[in-house]
Amino acid sequence: MDSLFILNASGAALLEKHWCDDRAIRRASLVVVPAFARYLASVEAAADAEPMWSGPQGTVCIHIQRQELIYLGIVSREVPPLEVLELLEGVVQALGEYVGRLSELTIKENFVTVYQLLSEMVDSGAMVTTDTAVLRGLVPVPNLVNRVLENVSGIGIGPERRPNVNTSATPWRAQGIRHSTNEFYVDIAERIDAIIAASGAVVAYDVNGEISCKSRLTGMPELVLTLNRPEIMDDVVFHPCVRRRAWDAERTIGFVPPDGPFKLASFHVAMETSPRSLPLHVRAQASRSGGTHTVEIAVDPGQCHGRPIEKLGVRVPLPLQAYNIGVQCKTGAHKVTNARPPQVEWTVKSVRPGDRGLRLSIQYHMHGEAAAAGGAPPAEQQGVAAAFVDFEIAGYSAASIKVDALRLLRESYKPFKGVRYVTKAGSFQVRF
Amino acid sequence: MMNAAIQTSLAQLQILKAKALAVLRKGENYELKTELNSEYKERRKEAVRRVIANMTVGKDVSGLFTDVLKNMHTDDLESKKLIYLYLINYAKTKPDLVILAINTFVKDAEDGNPLIRALAIRTMGCLHVQEVLDYLCDPLRRCLADANPYVRKTAVMCVAKVYDLNRAVAEENGFVDAVRAALADSNMMVVANAVSALAEINAMGRGDVWRLDAATAGKLLTAVNECVEWGQIAILEALIDYVPGDEKEAESICERVLPRLQHANGGVVLTTVRLLLKYEAHVRRADLLAQFEKKMVPPLITLLASEPEIQYVALRNINLILQRRPRLLGKEIRAFFCKYNDPIYVKFEKIDVLVRICSERNAEPLLNELKEYAKEVDVDFVRCAVAAIGRLAIRHEAAADKAVAVLVELLQMKVDYAVQAVVAVLGEVLRRYPRRFEGVVATLCEHADYIREPEARAVYAWALGEYSEHIDGALGLLSAAAESLLEEDARVQLALLSAVVKFFLKQPQRGQQLVVRALQCATEKCANPDVRDRAYIYWRLLSADPTAARTVALSEKPPVCPESTNLPDALLAELAAELGCVSSVLQKPARHFVYAHSEKPG
Repeated sequence: MDSLFILNASGAALLEKHWCDDRAIRRASLVVVPAFARYLASVEAAADAEPMWSGPQGTVCIHIQRQELIYLGIVSREVPPLEVLELLEGVVQALGEYVGRLSELTIKENFVTVYQLLSEMVDSGAMVTTDTAVLRGLVPVPNLVNRVLENVSGIGIGPERRPNVNTSATPWRAQGIRHSTNEFYVDIAERIDAIIAASGAVVAYDVNGEISCKSRLTGMPELVLTLNRPEIMDDVVFHPCVRRRAWDAERTIGFVPPDGPFKLASFHVAMETSPRSLPLHVRAQASRSGGTHTVEIAVDPGQCHGRPIEKLGVRVPLPLQAYNIGVQCKTGAHKVTNARPPQVEWTVKSVRPGDRGLRLSIQYHMHGEAAAAGGAPPAEQQGVAAAFVDFEIAGYSAASIKVDALRLLRESYKPFKGVRYVTKAGSFQVRF
Repeated sequence: MMNAAIQTSLAQLQILKAKALAVLRKGENYELKTELNSEYKERRKEAVRRVIANMTVGKDVSGLFTDVLKNMHTDDLESKKLIYLYLINYAKTKPDLVILAINTFVKDAEDGNPLIRALAIRTMGCLHVQEVLDYLCDPLRRCLADANPYVRKTAVMCVAKVYDLNRAVAEENGFVDAVRAALADSNMMVVANAVSALAEINAMGRGDVWRLDAATAGKLLTAVNECVEWGQIAILEALIDYVPGDEKEAESICERVLPRLQHANGGVVLTTVRLLLKYEAHVRRADLLAQFEKKMVPPLITLLASEPEIQYVALRNINLILQRRPRLLGKEIRAFFCKYNDPIYVKFEKIDVLVRICSERNAEPLLNELKEYAKEVDVDFVRCAVAAIGRLAIRHEAAADKAVAVLVELLQMKVDYAVQAVVAVLGEVLRRYPRRFEGVVATLCEHADYIREPEARAVYAWALGEYSEHIDGALGLLSAAAESLLEEDARVQLALLSAVVKFFLKQPQRGQQLVVRALQCATEKCANPDVRDRAYIYWRLLSADPTAARTVALSEKPPVCPESTNLPDALLAELAAELGCVSSVLQKPARHFVYAHSEKPG
């Protein structure tokens, strides 16, 4: 990678960092970035700008947009773009941890930290690390107390915090960790991605899960985690601490845990698309009589081991020309946001397994339709296209994955162990 | 006169503006200068911060060089880092002044804190100034042998910079050999950086500085499982360029990198896929190849659950892989279904992949899905979906019936832009399967009023002539169309002329009046020379030899062949070798976009 830019939404550079020679630097800031800004302005919606754009003078611009900022990497030779994209993603993550919400203002205020981080993450154009645990050892986290103290007393506390470079055989775990109480928590969080047809038939249904842990254990413990049906997980990605051999041979997860919270594994489960298996069923219908358009959405809880569905939210974006919007629902609360396009949001705090007949009904009229009512063809297709569903079910695993056992080896104490399950909606949408 | 006056005053204004700006800038720099020389440590620190802040937004603060330099000797790590940044920025314009900083650098390279040692050595490399080189050699040699791996890994990267600056110095001092030796370092970070550095050095030279041998390859395979993701990519890249000695070795390398497919970083996953595809040439055991293929699928699918940008890159690469291996993802069509809120660039790629993985077995659900897309609001997306249905119909004969049924259904919905797309596509389908879908033409004619765009109208006109015997009132429709001949696009005019002539040849009595009128209109009033020429040709042909006209106009045309949407083989091979790289995503070879191969980042 030659250069990295952080741009605001209109494509003006807030910060730049280069790993190339003078000529390339000038090319990047004077030619490539302005050209890229023009490209951004030329696409209709900024979100539709292709992440890889072939820039002037043989450069390639690779960018991501997060919140209001654009992170742009410029490369001029053959590299894996995913490496750049993952790095940019890592930059966003790390900066977020250091400075909080990322905006034009926070970037400018914290440019010193941002610069230090970027120099550690990339050395002469090669990616070095994006691991925030490692970075914290190299660049001190700025905090308010620190700042105030420095400014008031004139004494910097920076250099006292010796950076540590862990070089042991288990770089993720330091020697001699002690805790007064030994605890280990496992969270299995699953995310359902689904596309549902209007009839309620399931078009696509996937579960992506994450096993995250929080470790407060003394010494050098070794843990062995056994799951009930490891064979259904089809793309398992582990934290580097997990012993691959044990997993390959007997499908157990053996590891020396890092201290504190960490992500142990992520996995994917392809679900059969029978409607019974979903924790909730949604049907949607859009109709029109005269000038009135009606949208009906019906939600019924499915089988989720008697757990209530919480924080149910249904979001329906209406056509741009919709007006006179009326909403009825017997359960829960609803809200109409007059954004462009207008949206109806329906929220139900909790749905019990026995609850039936949760219905949302929306009526609206359309601008400019009265004239076309004489049977002339509509100039363009109008109507609602999709509804987005959000929910959370605690204590339930959509893929039916359970922790069978969690054993502790190499240390003699008995830790407190806790396991939690939660299933949430990922990208869960219903078509009309 | 006036103009000249305005120009002069404008020019004066410009000069004034420049002067005012210069004063303002000088003002700020002057203030910073005093602050940098302040007796209070905190004020100096703040001043350094402001200098760098100005530098990062492109203001010229090079005038403060000596003042900034005075602050270099500080134990505040943050200030030190900032001043180093400043030096890197201005070293090239003021190399003579940089020498003043050398002493501090050399001292810092021996500091008790490994971070400062590494920082000093990294910065000295980044300065990229010949004058520094003499002073850099000793500290660099020490840092390469430092007890702390963090320092060693930084020093290794520094060697690449020295090599870039002066090859002879790098080689004579044994730095390149030291990097080669670092491949056997006990710390994996150092190993990974050594691989990156050697790759960099190879790219700068003639590529012969370093060649991976079997013993080192073995070591790297151990390292690849233990180092961080970026190191893994560097090592995998090195292994891709390696030519295994025999089949056994190739097999073992493949088996040992297989776990890399299960990595959270998409870059690692795609680079591993590339390695496996590349090594295929060396592996002959079919069971192994099948196993590799099976293992590739789930991680590729998982990439599709990531951020849209990553999805895009993954999809572009999947597209390439599928051109070599059409059956790889046949069972996974659902993963490629479009979400309503996918960015448009992801949707296009998904549709393209869907068409590629279509087979007789999954055609039905796929067509239903494409039908859903064709009903959406986004015009471009709808066109893309309709075109995809057409491509399916043309490619898969067994799916053609269902595809045509879907197209007719869309036509009957009478949505303007969908109708245009559907009619244009139907033309292709009708030409691909002559005489198979005659019934469709009647439906087409029923919707004549909605057909608006030239491309679609040309298809309509063509169908009127080709299938006139299957259309009730074909004469009326043709006459009506011929009536407005002059208002049509040239493409439609040409198609209409042919249609009228065909109709006349099929039914001379009924068509005579029409053909005369149409040809007369075209020859006398039409502005387009091509259309006039065509009309004359028909006219002469018809008047000279009607039998010959018959053989010409009504000849049996060969059906359209299923077009190949694959890239040309040579290009495909070239891109596949760079799978997961920029060229494979842009789908053009590196030499077409890379500005200068020899230009290396410093």
